[in-house]
Amino acid sequence: MKYVLATLILLSASVARAAPLPEVATCQACHGVHGEGVVDGGKPRLAGQSAHYLDKQLRDFASGARDNAIMGAIAKGLNDQTRSKVVAFYASLPVPVPLEHASATAAQAERGHQLAIEGAEGKRVQACNNCHGPDGSGVALSAPALAGQLATYLAAQLKLWQQGGRKNDAGNLMSSVASKLDDADIAAVTSYYAGLSASTPASH
Amino acid sequence: MAQRLKEVDVVVIGVGMVGSILAKELAAAGYKVVGLERGTTRFTVPEFQSPGIHDELRFDVRKALMQDNTREPVTFRNHSSETGLPIRRWESFLPGTGLGGSMVHWNGQTFRFQANDFELATRTRERYGKGFLDPDLTLQDWGVTYDELEPHYDRFEYLLGTSGKAGNLKGQIQPGGDPHESPRSRDYPTPPQKEHYSGALFRKAASSLGHHPFPQPSSNLSQPYTNPEGLKMNTCVFCGFCERYACEHYAKSTPQTFILPVLLANPNFELRTGCQVQRINLDSSKKRATGVTYIDNAGRELEQPASLVITCLFAINNIRMLLLSGIGKPYDPATGKGVVGRNYAYQTMSTVASFFDEDVIINPFMASGASGTMINDFAGDNFDHSGLGFVGGAFIGAVNTNGRPIQYHPTPPGTPTWGKGWKDAVVKHYNHTVMFSLHGSSVSQRQNYADLDPTYKDAWGQPLLRITFDFPKNDLKMAEYVTARGVEIGKAMGAKQVVGSPRKGPYTTQQYQTTHNTGGTVMGNDPSTSVVNRYLQSWDVPNVFVIGASAYPQNASWNPTGTLGALTYWVADALKSKYLKSPGHLVSP
Amino acid sequence: MKLPTSPHVTRRSFVVSAGVATVVPPAVALVAGSAGAAAAAAHHPARSSPPALASAAAPVPPVSSTPERPVYLFFNTAEVQFIEAACERLIPADDAGAGALAAGVPNYLDKQLGGAWGAGERLYRSGPWIQGSPSQGYQLPFTPAELFRTALRAINSDLARQGPPFSELSADAQDGYLKSLEKGSHDLDGVPAAVFFDMLLKMSIEGFFSDPVYGGNRDMVAWRMIGFPGAYADYYEAIDHHGVKFERAPMSIGEDGQGHVHVHPEIPASVG
Repeated sequence: MKYVLATLILLSASVARAAPLPEVATCQACHGVHGEGVVDGGKPRLAGQSAHYLDKQLRDFASGARDNAIMGAIAKGLNDQTRSKVVAFYASLPVPVPLEHASATAAQAERGHQLAIEGAEGKRVQACNNCHGPDGSGVALSAPALAGQLATYLAAQLKLWQQGGRKNDAGNLMSSVASKLDDADIAAVTSYYAGLSASTPASH
Repeated sequence: MAQRLKEVDVVVIGVGMVGSILAKELAAAGYKVVGLERGTTRFTVPEFQSPGIHDELRFDVRKALMQDNTREPVTFRNHSSETGLPIRRWESFLPGTGLGGSMVHWNGQTFRFQANDFELATRTRERYGKGFLDPDLTLQDWGVTYDELEPHYDRFEYLLGTSGKAGNLKGQIQPGGDPHESPRSRDYPTPPQKEHYSGALFRKAASSLGHHPFPQPSSNLSQPYTNPEGLKMNTCVFCGFCERYACEHYAKSTPQTFILPVLLANPNFELRTGCQVQRINLDSSKKRATGVTYIDNAGRELEQPASLVITCLFAINNIRMLLLSGIGKPYDPATGKGVVGRNYAYQTMSTVASFFDEDVIINPFMASGASGTMINDFAGDNFDHSGLGFVGGAFIGAVNTNGRPIQYHPTPPGTPTWGKGWKDAVVKHYNHTVMFSLHGSSVSQRQNYADLDPTYKDAWGQPLLRITFDFPKNDLKMAEYVTARGVEIGKAMGAKQVVGSPRKGPYTTQQYQTTHNTGGTVMGNDPSTSVVNRYLQSWDVPNVFVIGASAYPQNASWNPTGTLGALTYWVADALKSKYLKSPGHLVSP
Repeated sequence: MKLPTSPHVTRRSFVVSAGVATVVPPAVALVAGSAGAAAAAAHHPARSSPPALASAAAPVPPVSSTPERPVYLFFNTAEVQFIEAACERLIPADDAGAGALAAGVPNYLDKQLGGAWGAGERLYRSGPWIQGSPSQGYQLPFTPAELFRTALRAINSDLARQGPPFSELSADAQDGYLKSLEKGSHDLDGVPAAVFFDMLLKMSIEGFFSDPVYGGNRDMVAWRMIGFPGAYADYYEAIDHHGVKFERAPMSIGEDGQGHVHVHPEIPASVG
């Protein structure tokens, strides 16, 4: 798979240098100045993600319900007030143009689209958008946005759901889905969502 | 001239829940089975997917998944003195169609009947004496006992993955379950679904009155589950689009989720859709079926010969199939003779509405079709009926299944039906009301029956089924009694206003009251009062079996599906171990 | 206890984050040789005002006080005048929220009556037609479209004989006339007045509360009014929060990832 990187150019240099909210300086160090994430599988886009979802993930990192050494340490260091500020900040950010575009083959694009809007009967997998919203833009209080999320990150999470490395999905909803996808499905659906631009924040 | 096809071992008419399970059992046992379904194929992907499936207008109001009433409705009258008229739009009951049948759009409420129900006539007489019952009532024993069906109930629940909590394990009462249930050999395959707020309120109130609340058994699963057929099902997310809709999540137990992939993969089974079976064909002796005649989607008439014919249609359609085929003597209420169409019954539904202040937030839209909390203290014969003047009862529960606003916008009595007063009441009460369901039994009486309509026809030119039914006085008395008990619970919840609406006559086809039509091809030990024997085999034509809730001599206090699933496995066993090894009457007529 | 739908946000952080949002233009992207990114950028609308804070309880978008008139395909002008005024009496605008007109109920009726439903979808249409008991329900040959046409013609002539058209009557007089239909035992050229009224009321409620994909319930005003979240419905976690209001803007079957609802009134009342 080939990726073409898109670089976000800032009009205002002063914005690039200053941390808009002091509490997010730590986040920016890994998740990018504008919460756009990094294409290495480990640092998702935060900008425009649902505040409710971000909040739950931070709490889960802190409690260990979601297992990640780096995020666990950071999350444990957040008190309620700071955490609230941080998630509200990121939720309010506009979703950046996708940083990566998996130049999927036509068949992959087709498959990714199919899984997203229809599912796959042979694998007993429902449409991702059932829960993740129209065009994967997220459904507030229920499911995070997938549109414009980094494909490598999405793929890494699906693998974790599959292998049991991530367990903080209520009702085992995600592990049930992931257990039925093969690597080709994962590549297809993650590149599909990564390529979708989402112009509204996940919480409508 | 019908084209005659190559003979097969078994024809299954209707590939809904019953047809799917039976066909799978027989095909797996090596028999060549043809399943004839009038509707289309449909599967979770793509037909049941969101967001399109969450369309209240289409599925709830306009009944998109239901039997095509423009071509095949039913006619109805309350009494024999009236003229039967077509039910031109479905309202009271909503028969399904298509692969998977009504179980695609059911609510998932999965119950067992109690031991008493299977011997209702005998036990009622024993407990209350011979003169207790209204002489018009035609209560009958089933010919099969709860104990005989128990392993089949178990098998059915494990096929579906039903979520619940046992109340009686091999005679030991279990806390948190239903203490009135008849003994189970093991617990449910998955634990109960989460409790809705309305259920929590109900549970506290019911307990405070000394009743025994428990979680409603639900085939909308509480967790991921792999059934004995190897099929995986998912967790229900309480989307509130259960009955009348198909489930996009693989979380509601339907033939599509629990058995069809296995059935359809077996080369011994052939599914034909778009096939409207016209009749079961009999030989000149009229005591043996030779197969069926059907008309396909292109209007071609075909004859499918078979050694064994099993009609697995929805209850009322089973009655019609026998009448159109001339199998069994049609019932005549004037003389009391005949059996096909006899003992037609339904369900006696009442409600209690509890209106709360606006600081009590109910969120009715968060629900599965069976995520209720309920009591059986006033169901069946679980309470002493001495002096009450009726038999039967109802389960009472906070059975909140949805908050879909076109049809759900409760308002207290006295609210105008339109205008500002209506609108403001809707806003005031929508999220602050708890509705109880009082799901009452339905006894059979000699005046209620089904036959063929003399005037109206279906699109294929065949007479429609005519239902003649009104609520027996027995059931209206029962409704009054249980509703009063429900109002007590509503008051104990601390609601500001509690309104009981007991079912009143006459029965109307214009208000939804469940699709629990039963009877008409009842099972029993006596051919003069039953159409099929205890193995659901026709007394008249032993190579015809008739499986559906049409077998029920009367309807009990709970949804019929669980019991029908048990009967299906009971019959499958009888077919494989007895009939198919040695065809003929399994019980001497 | 309120469900923590949106974390507590200080006024300062609101101001600061809003400021950032306006300064950073979301749609500017320079891509080395990728047409896809440019296309994506084109679809990415520029923001002219600070985006709403991530409150799940999104502010209610105002329904236009003078909503643009729909293009009526079924109703003629005289019928429109009656229908618009009558629907607004059945479900009036008031403090609780928008009424039938602003919600697009007449538009819903127009598209349904002009489509398959109006033509008799899901209606058994064989005779003979014999008047039965209330238990036996509707026994008339009229399709919904025929029923409305016939009844409206009779209503408009009836009113023309008595005085001004319905739309020019006072609200009280309009209510009085509607009540006379509701309780009336007269018929409107063969359509019993009460049957017409029942169908008008039933379809108005449908037009008010159905998914906006059908052309009514514009901007989901009716759903917002009662707090019904609509078509996207995963409540697995929320169901545990007993007694806590679920604060999420409603969502339609017909909406896309940008929240724009695509109207499709022709969805059939059958599957396959």
